[in-house]
Amino acid sequence: MCFKNLPIAFDEQGNAYLKEDIANPYEYKVVDLGVEQDKLKSLMEKNGFIRSVDYDPVTRVAGALAFHSVVDLQEKKVLSTNSMATLFRGYEIILKGRDPRDAAYISSRACGVCGGVHATTSALAIEMALGIKPPPLGIVMRNILLAIEYLYDHPLHLFLLSGPDYSEELVGATNPELIPKAANTKAKNKAVHGYDTILDIMKDLNPLKGKLYLEALSMTRVAREAYVQIGGKYPHPQSVVPGGISVTVTISTLNEVYTRLIKFFDYGQKTTGIWDDIFDFFLEEDPRYSQCGVRPATMADTGVWDRPDSYDGTFENCDKWGNDRWSTPGILVDGEVVTTNLKELNAGLEEFVEHSYYEKWDGQTYKTDANGMPLSPNHPWNKDTIPKPGKQSWRDRYSWDTCPTWDRMPMEAGAYSRMYLTAKAQRAPSSPYLENTGHSMKINVPKYNLPAAQLEWKIPEHWNAFERNRARAYCIPYSAMVAFENWQMAMQLIRNGETAVSTPYEIPKTGTQIGFGAWGAGRGFLTHHLIVQDGLIKNYQIITPSTLNAAPRAPWGAPGPYEEAVLNTPILEKYDKPEDYKGIDILRAIRSFDPCMPCTTHIMAKDTDHVVTREVTTCACGIE
Amino acid sequence: MESNKKTLIGTVGYHILGNHSMPPMMYPHLQKLSLPDYVKVDELNWGPVAVVQMFEAEKPAFKRVIILCAIERDHRDIGEITVYKWMGGLPDEEQIQACVGDAATGVISVENLLVIGEYFKVWKDEVYLVDVEPGPEVAGEQLTPKMEAQLPHILSLVRQLATGELNEEIKLQYLRGDKIFEEINV
Repeated sequence: MCFKNLPIAFDEQGNAYLKEDIANPYEYKVVDLGVEQDKLKSLMEKNGFIRSVDYDPVTRVAGALAFHSVVDLQEKKVLSTNSMATLFRGYEIILKGRDPRDAAYISSRACGVCGGVHATTSALAIEMALGIKPPPLGIVMRNILLAIEYLYDHPLHLFLLSGPDYSEELVGATNPELIPKAANTKAKNKAVHGYDTILDIMKDLNPLKGKLYLEALSMTRVAREAYVQIGGKYPHPQSVVPGGISVTVTISTLNEVYTRLIKFFDYGQKTTGIWDDIFDFFLEEDPRYSQCGVRPATMADTGVWDRPDSYDGTFENCDKWGNDRWSTPGILVDGEVVTTNLKELNAGLEEFVEHSYYEKWDGQTYKTDANGMPLSPNHPWNKDTIPKPGKQSWRDRYSWDTCPTWDRMPMEAGAYSRMYLTAKAQRAPSSPYLENTGHSMKINVPKYNLPAAQLEWKIPEHWNAFERNRARAYCIPYSAMVAFENWQMAMQLIRNGETAVSTPYEIPKTGTQIGFGAWGAGRGFLTHHLIVQDGLIKNYQIITPSTLNAAPRAPWGAPGPYEEAVLNTPILEKYDKPEDYKGIDILRAIRSFDPCMPCTTHIMAKDTDHVVTREVTTCACGIE
Repeated sequence: MESNKKTLIGTVGYHILGNHSMPPMMYPHLQKLSLPDYVKVDELNWGPVAVVQMFEAEKPAFKRVIILCAIERDHRDIGEITVYKWMGGLPDEEQIQACVGDAATGVISVENLLVIGEYFKVWKDEVYLVDVEPGPEVAGEQLTPKMEAQLPHILSLVRQLATGELNEEIKLQYLRGDKIFEEINV
C-alpha cells in the first residue's frame, strides 16, 4: 500500500481503486495562514518592535524567486519562512493549441541551463501519447546527451554557485574561528586532489580567482563540447525529437564524445574527494552543521536513462521500463522507498494553488489513468493553468509557484534524489560501473590519468545542506559512468549496423491521446503531462524540480521544502552586531537545493530593521 | 579609426520581446552585409562564460568588438541610438560573482557580458556598444515603426564601426565597468 493519505487502495490482484463510502474523497483542509502570521506579529510586538518590510521584485537582472525569513538573532533561530516565485512563465499557456512537435523546442526554453532535459521530457510525453518506440541507438544517444548535460550542470553548481559559501573568503567573514582549524586539518583525499590542508582547498574555492572555481569553468566547456556533438547546440539542443534523435551518429561522433567524457573520470574522483574533505571538516568541527537545511529525506524522482532493450514509451509498460533505468524512479518518505513504479508516482501527484497566483480550475477530465488507477481532480492531467495576479500576502497568496505534492506530502527533488533512490531501492539492472547496496552506491571509475578507483556514496544519517551537495558531487562520476556505459553500447550498436536513431511517426488528426514524460533535470524530478486532441495540444503541464522545492505552503499548512529546510536551520554564523549578519547558514541551506532560478533571499532580523539580501542564483528554469 | 582590425559584430538580446529583440532580429541582416574578411558576425546570446571561452580560443584575437543591443534608458526616444565606447574597469568582486552566477544560468545581459569579458581580459583594443532605445518591454515578434525606420541607419553605423570607414561623425559616450550598473539602471 503506497498511499497513506490519498483515497486509493489496492485489491488482492494489485488493482487500484478509489476507497468507497467517502463522500468527497479528494477533500482537503485549508488552514488560515493568518494565524501563524498573527502569532509572529505578536511575538515581535512583545519584543518591542514591529516592522513592515516591502520586498522588491527581487533579482538584479531576471527576478524569479525570493525567499523571506524572519530570524531571531539573539536566540539564533529562524522564526518564519516564505518561498515566493515572482515571475509567471506560462509555458503551459504558450503550448496550448500548438502542434505537439513544437513542444520539445518550446519547452526547452523553460531553462537557460537544462534545455535538453525539457526537450527530452517533452519527447517522452509524446512518445507515450502516440506509442512511439525509438530505436536502440536513439535511446542510448539520448542517455549520453543528458548525462553530459549533468556533467555541465553539477560542477557549475558545486564550484561556481555553491562553492564560494565554503571558501576561505566567505568562511573567514562568517565563521573566522574555523580558519585556523582548517589550516591545521590535513585533507584525507590529498592523493586524489593534491591539497594538503582543508584551508588549501578553501582558498581555491574562492570565487573568481580560486583554481577550483576556474577549473570548473573550464570543465563546463568540456561538457558543452561533448554535448554539441549530439545536441547540435547548447543549451537548447536541436536534435531531440519524439522517437529518438535527429542527428547521424558515427564512430567519429562517438570518438569526439569519448575524448571529452574521459576527462570526467579524474574530475569525478577529484570532486568527490574535495567535497568529502570540506564537508567532513565542517561536520566534525561543529556537529550542529548537520542541522543546516535539514529535513526528512522525503523526495520524489522520475528516474532517468532508459535501457534500449526495455524502453518502449508506453504507459502500459512504464513500471517495467522505469525500473530498468540506470536511475530508479520513485518516492522516498523519510528515507524509506515507498514506490518505484511510475504509474504510482504519476497517480499520487497533485498540484494546489491556494497560496499561488492562480485560479482553481473546474472539472475533472480524467478520473482514472488508462489502467484504472484513480486520479485526483488536482492531478496535472486535470489541471488548468489560470493565472490570477494579485497582492502578495503571507496570509493568503504569495507565489507564482504552485504546491505540488505526492500523496499529500511536499516532496523534495534533486540530483541527489536520483542517487538516493537508486542506491536504496536496488532495482536498477546490474552494471559494471555501478553497484547499489541498499545503503550506498559504489561507482567504479576507470583509469585515466588517475588510477582506477571505487568511489562509494553512502546514504547519510541526516539529510542536510552538506549531504545534498556531497551527493551532488558523487553524481558527477555517477553520470560519467552511465554516459560511458551507454557510449560502449552505442559503439556496439554501430558495429552491429544498428544505426537508426529515430522512429518515424505521424500526429493523428483526430481523437485524444495522453501521455507524460518523466525524466530528470540536473536538479532532479521533471514531468511534462500532455493531452493531444485532434492533432493539437489541449493541455500541457510542467512540474520542474523547483516547482517542488520552492513550493509555498500546502493548503493544509505544510511548508514547502525550502521553507522547511530553512526553518530547521540553526544560525551558526558569528557576528557582533545584527548589521554584520550575513545569513550564510540560510544561504547554504537554500543553495544546497541548487535552486532553479535566479533566486534572491531576504532575511529580516527580528527587532531590527536589518534586511540581508543575497543572490542564490542557479539555472533560470521555471516555475509555471 | 584603424581599419583592417580583426573584428566581431555580436548581437545580444532576448527573442520575442518587441523592440528589445531588435539585436537578434538584426542578426541575419548583419550576416548579409557586405563586410571584409576580417569582420565576423555572431550572436552572443549563448552565455558570457562561453563567449569568453570562445574569445580565448580565437587565434589571433578579435581586436575590435561591436555589440548591438537595445537597453531601455530614461530620456531617450524609441529608436534613438547611442554609441558607447567601453573604457574597461570592473565593479566589486561580489558584483562580478553575481554576473557569473547569472551568466552561468542562462541570463542574457549585455552588462554581464561586458563585465565578465573584462574580468577575463578578452576585450583587446576596442569594444563599442551600439545601443538603440527600445522603449518599454512588450511581448511579440514585431518592431514598432520608429524602430523599423532606424534599421538602415543601425546597419550602416555598425558597418562603419566594424570597418573603421566612417561616413558620419559618431558622437561617442563612454562606459566603465565600475559604473556600469549605476549607469544602465538609471
